[in-house]
Amino acid sequence: MASRVLARPPAFRSVGRSLLLTLPIALWSLLMFTPSFREPGRDRHIGSLAVILFMTTLFFLMMRTGKTYQWRRWFFVALGLLFPVGFIASLVAVRGTMSIPVERMVSGDTPFCYMVIPMLFIPAALARTIIFPGSILPTANNPHSIAIMIGIWLAMTLVVGKGWCSYVCFFGGIEEGFAAIPKRARIGRSVRKLDPRLRLVPWAILLFVVVLSAALFEPVYCMWLCPFKTVTEYPAVHSVETALQMGIFITLFAGLVIVLPFLTKKRTQCAYFCPFGAFQSIFNKINLFEIRFDREKCVDCTLCQTACPIMALSAESIREGKTLMNCMKCGACVDSCKKSAAVWHLKGTKVALKPERARLLFLYGAWAMATMFGGSILANSIATMLHWLPVK
Amino acid sequence: MVVVPISTGAGEALLLGLATGPVCLASCGPVVLPWMLVQPRGVRVQARQLSIFLAARLSGYLLFAATVWLAGSVIPRSWSGRSWLFGGVQVLLAVGLLVYAAGWPHTRCSFADSSADGSSRLVQIDEPPRSHRSRSHRSGAVTLGFLTGISVCPPFLVAGVRAAQLGSLADALLFFAVFFFGTAVWFAPFVSLGVVRRSSSFVTVARMVAVLLACWYAFAGGSVLIERAIYG
Amino acid sequence: MRARIIAVLAYAAAGLTLAIAVLVPFVLMGTFARAVAHAGLHVDASYSGGTVARTFTRSGHQIVVYEPVRPHALQRVDPFVQIVFRPAASLPAHVSEDIDLDGDGQADVRVSFTVPADRRARPAGEVVALNGKYQSFRMPGSYSFSKLMVQSGDAVLVRVPLNSSAGLVR
Repeated sequence: MASRVLARPPAFRSVGRSLLLTLPIALWSLLMFTPSFREPGRDRHIGSLAVILFMTTLFFLMMRTGKTYQWRRWFFVALGLLFPVGFIASLVAVRGTMSIPVERMVSGDTPFCYMVIPMLFIPAALARTIIFPGSILPTANNPHSIAIMIGIWLAMTLVVGKGWCSYVCFFGGIEEGFAAIPKRARIGRSVRKLDPRLRLVPWAILLFVVVLSAALFEPVYCMWLCPFKTVTEYPAVHSVETALQMGIFITLFAGLVIVLPFLTKKRTQCAYFCPFGAFQSIFNKINLFEIRFDREKCVDCTLCQTACPIMALSAESIREGKTLMNCMKCGACVDSCKKSAAVWHLKGTKVALKPERARLLFLYGAWAMATMFGGSILANSIATMLHWLPVK
Repeated sequence: MVVVPISTGAGEALLLGLATGPVCLASCGPVVLPWMLVQPRGVRVQARQLSIFLAARLSGYLLFAATVWLAGSVIPRSWSGRSWLFGGVQVLLAVGLLVYAAGWPHTRCSFADSSADGSSRLVQIDEPPRSHRSRSHRSGAVTLGFLTGISVCPPFLVAGVRAAQLGSLADALLFFAVFFFGTAVWFAPFVSLGVVRRSSSFVTVARMVAVLLACWYAFAGGSVLIERAIYG
Repeated sequence: MRARIIAVLAYAAAGLTLAIAVLVPFVLMGTFARAVAHAGLHVDASYSGGTVARTFTRSGHQIVVYEPVRPHALQRVDPFVQIVFRPAASLPAHVSEDIDLDGDGQADVRVSFTVPADRRARPAGEVVALNGKYQSFRMPGSYSFSKLMVQSGDAVLVRVPLNSSAGLVR
């Protein structure tokens, strides 16, 4: 009992201890961004420096306050909002348009997006074919090659599992940004009353796009269903079909990424639509870290359920002391729990024995990945914005 | 016309079937997969459902081959009615998938009906009476199998062209039948879905996939029909 | 005792995960990327144009003819042959060539186009089929992956659709 009390996550740490715990992340950030200081370009240097300070400060605040979600959200929303800025700017600079002209597709210049990954497996296994108009190895016109992006995804998935959706995915950041705007949810209660089986829709969409992509040899999700085409790139509209596709992209983006998150304060696209999120949930089974509930402390107040941005908790799962499979380890439930019943947990150890140790072990890996991947996107976007600003 | 002896034709039909089987799988797989997933667990049950599906598909093959043979032309590649048939069958497949995804004929009006908590029937798993279940499952397999059988997929066309070079209707039907068995081998792995653990979530997902595929078939078939109607 | 061993193993695995995290940018990303690159995969021919069949050398430029691309059975792309004229900078202002696409010594199509000065602009021109195996078309006009006339990198890329509808559903 005594050890359990001692192991409880402290409300906050001393400044000195927090700094000490932040030191590895500070060093990691420096290591990640040192190469950019060797390259010429003041804008790039400022961007890198800003990101080093930003990521290190947020981690320090996580250590100091013992809270995860709110500080992670600063990074995640910044990533979601700045990614399109940098990406669109680079598209316009290279192509003069956000749309992907057919000449870019046939020359393999389309940047690879991780959303395609689940659709690649069957055609690759059966016909050794990659059904995406990119290039396998990086080229001068396309550094975001298929092999590099799959390499990044695989390596990072090993570390964070479904945590991808709250530490890596820049698309999720856009949604979380819109969900963060209102103080209170306008229709939050209605969302909680929705049939819980609607949570299975992402799995259905995953199976649908995988099967149909294998049959048609084209990335069906990217061509028909991806809401984020609206803020990244899309096939040039030149026919009724491409116009229809564009209409679907815009409708899904407006509905699932802007309006519903704003009204519900939930990541509705992630919870009820995203097939890549469902795909990443599979890796939660092999990832070592999870959120659990100490049933001795839990009073079934459902604060955690209200706080969860992707509906990854149900009354039944809480009774069992677990989250649902789609938990993305954002820490919202842990931070909202007034009884410290929701805890970080390392599989194989006793629940709630040393939750802060589990949190630290997870956060070091997750934040290192966030700094490496998201941080570089942030630095690039900041540099792009500085470049476009009229004041020098 | 070069007339091919049936002894040669049967061997060729089998080889053709085996060779084009993966294409059949890609063509019919999206229909078979969700259908098999909503069936009860068990290799035997799945094998029975798959057999009914394939038998209905074979009857579709033979009926179509006989019809066009008697009409005087065995499915030329450039047959102008192909698009109409393809589009129409795709739309019917969409309707078939929707109907069975919604649970009909287990419930009288699946879309309109709603349960006490206001949730959609579409995401509900309700077990119908056993007698209803086996009958409706059989009719589902028959309908979807038959529709995929007449959907004029690419391997079907290739077989049709070869069958045209055979001497008689009986030979052509035999050619199609042997060709069918060659393709059917590729469907055998679907039986293994019988060992996958079934849960209500699993069946719900399969039904949702059927709905999504129905939307796709409706779009694919509808766009072909509209295109043909406008451009001829 | 068993619980203790499992806990020790769990912490060891967590340590390993952290080690993996550290190795991601320096070793793992590259290793995985190389593994993917060496897996013998190729980008689908409807995007890449397939493999080169033969090259004709003209004064100052080359004409590269690709093998015909016959898409997978249900793929919504028609069969086509890709022809690449390169380098675009060395092409005359107006190109008109009779090209043997199938290697039988007879010209199959006549490709003519005007090379635009703007590298991003699309060439205007036409493809005239000299036999029934290929389809004629004009640009600007409707285009698809199998019917194209564009500038791509330092080349002008033309895709000529085949007339055969074999192997296609639509």
